[in-house]
Amino acid sequence: MSDIAFLAASIVFFVVAVLYVHGCRRLMKGGGDNA
Amino acid sequence: MTSNGWLQIAVFFVLVLLAAKPMGLYMARVYERKKTWLDPVLVPVEKLLYKVTGVDSETEMRWTEYAVSMLVFSLATLLLTYAVERLQHAIPLWNPQHLAAVEPYLAWSTAGSFTTNTNWQAYVPETTMSYLTQMFGLATHNFWSAAVGMALAIAFIRGIARREARTLGNFWVDLTRGTLWVLVPMCLVYALALVSQGAIQNFKPYDTATLVEKQNVTTTGTDGKPVTTAVITQTIAQGPLASQEAIKMLGTNGGGFMNANSAHPFENPTPLTNLMEMFSIFVIPGGLCVTLGTMTGSKGHGWAVFAAMSILWFAGVATCYWAEAQPNPLLKGVDQTVTQTGPAAASSSGGNMEGKEVRFGIANSALFATVTTDASCGAVNSMHDSFMPLGGMVPLANIMMGEIIFGGVGAGMYGMLIFVVVSVFIAGLMVGRTPEYLGKKVEAYDVQLSMLYLLIFPLIILGFAALSVLLPAGLASISNKGPHGLTQILYAYTSAVGNNGSAFAGLNANTHWYLITQGIAMLGGRFLMIVPMLAVAGNLATKKISPPSVGTFPVNGTLFTVLLVGVILIVGALTFFPALSLGPVLEHLLLRAGSAF
Repeated sequence: MSDIAFLAASIVFFVVAVLYVHGCRRLMKGGGDNA
Repeated sequence: MTSNGWLQIAVFFVLVLLAAKPMGLYMARVYERKKTWLDPVLVPVEKLLYKVTGVDSETEMRWTEYAVSMLVFSLATLLLTYAVERLQHAIPLWNPQHLAAVEPYLAWSTAGSFTTNTNWQAYVPETTMSYLTQMFGLATHNFWSAAVGMALAIAFIRGIARREARTLGNFWVDLTRGTLWVLVPMCLVYALALVSQGAIQNFKPYDTATLVEKQNVTTTGTDGKPVTTAVITQTIAQGPLASQEAIKMLGTNGGGFMNANSAHPFENPTPLTNLMEMFSIFVIPGGLCVTLGTMTGSKGHGWAVFAAMSILWFAGVATCYWAEAQPNPLLKGVDQTVTQTGPAAASSSGGNMEGKEVRFGIANSALFATVTTDASCGAVNSMHDSFMPLGGMVPLANIMMGEIIFGGVGAGMYGMLIFVVVSVFIAGLMVGRTPEYLGKKVEAYDVQLSMLYLLIFPLIILGFAALSVLLPAGLASISNKGPHGLTQILYAYTSAVGNNGSAFAGLNANTHWYLITQGIAMLGGRFLMIVPMLAVAGNLATKKISPPSVGTFPVNGTLFTVLLVGVILIVGALTFFPALSLGPVLEHLLLRAGSAF
């Protein structure tokens, strides 16, 4: 059970990190200097 | 402090200085895919790897693709390490001690720790990790996480150097070339040098030695009463140590094969290996300054960054050495003769020797502690918890500054370049002109993302530290009360978020609270900072390069170096001074007043 929980937690963290990349890119498009 | 001690510190720095140029020029050639003398051997290996993995080495990536590739790779390797730890008991290979599977919380925290180049170890390696896990689960990460850091630094440098470009290179190519051309060859030579000095490299089961003199060990029994046991044998751990030691230091990873880390005679057998280990922490980060100058076409800028790092390094080592060379004031009046009569007498022999290897002494312990925390290494040859309060504050403050004093391989360089962007922006504000960095205008988006990078770091550290001093689960792990206990907690999260991995000791981090929160802190401190850094690099790459004018702030002189050092100190001091004042500073003052914790 713990193994599945940690597997899920790891994947969730990295999915959030990918969304974070997307957020930073959106910020660039919104206020970026050379979007 | 002794002239001999200062001489050894000076020799160390001269070696780093001499190695910077050849190392930096070589790395520039490697990442720019120019010819090197290793090409006949390594190019076929490189091509084979791309063929097997399906990587198109000629395709360049935008910063978002570069970031996602790095994240996918890190997740895959994290899960691989977790699986190896959990299954080590079931794999009939290189587990002569028949060690059990690593417990899930510890396995996850450790997998995160090694993926992020932190190498925080909440376990005793000799009794927890099989040889297979050490090699296949952990040592591989030492290569990968270091190569990822170097690739990211090169991506940032390309962002500065390129004009009106959309791409920063290819992550898979940078990862492969950094590993094959830089880390593997250096580690091969380094590991052999360590073996020549006495480091071990074998797959034998652990040895048992009979003690010359019987030892009586008193422990507390299950009924709460003291139980005295006569110990007549000692288990001596073995293993493939030298190969892991080399990349542990060179990749600024720091996770020891043995619990005592670089204080263990198998990991760090002689004064010469001690010098080699410290040198190998700085050799790649120092070289990256020259790589920066070479790839951006501004050699002076690379050396100005090197100078800023050197100033901060010297300030740290001088403070730490001075603090540790002082005897503990509470031992004033105690017999100063080193005898076997008790710890107090032995602790005060010419300075603070508690927690230090007598083989290395005070100067080399202070230098090692400074170097390992300037970089994101985290290996230790002495126990930082036993340093004098101000001596212990130096490693802590080094990590709090973001480990940009030479720093982790690659991570130190890109962290420093974020500070450069902020420094250039501040210089622009002071003179009232649009700030420019090597001909590129530093604008709103660059500063917003740089500040995001700088703010995530203290937010995670201070947030988790605050929770830990409020919650019983956090307080239960400290071994000292008062300001020293606060420092233990503060150091643990600073080390985790900074991806350093050195422990202040004294804190039991093998609890569910610390394993979970440290795991999150390590992942956050690595990946939530890398993403905005790459975004800044990606944005800088798209800009035009303006020719220098009278209003351009030069980034290659003394003025720039002083400004950069000032910005780093002010940002670090403003952010962490309140916490430091309640920890090591208060402990120092109370120690002078006669109180110990």
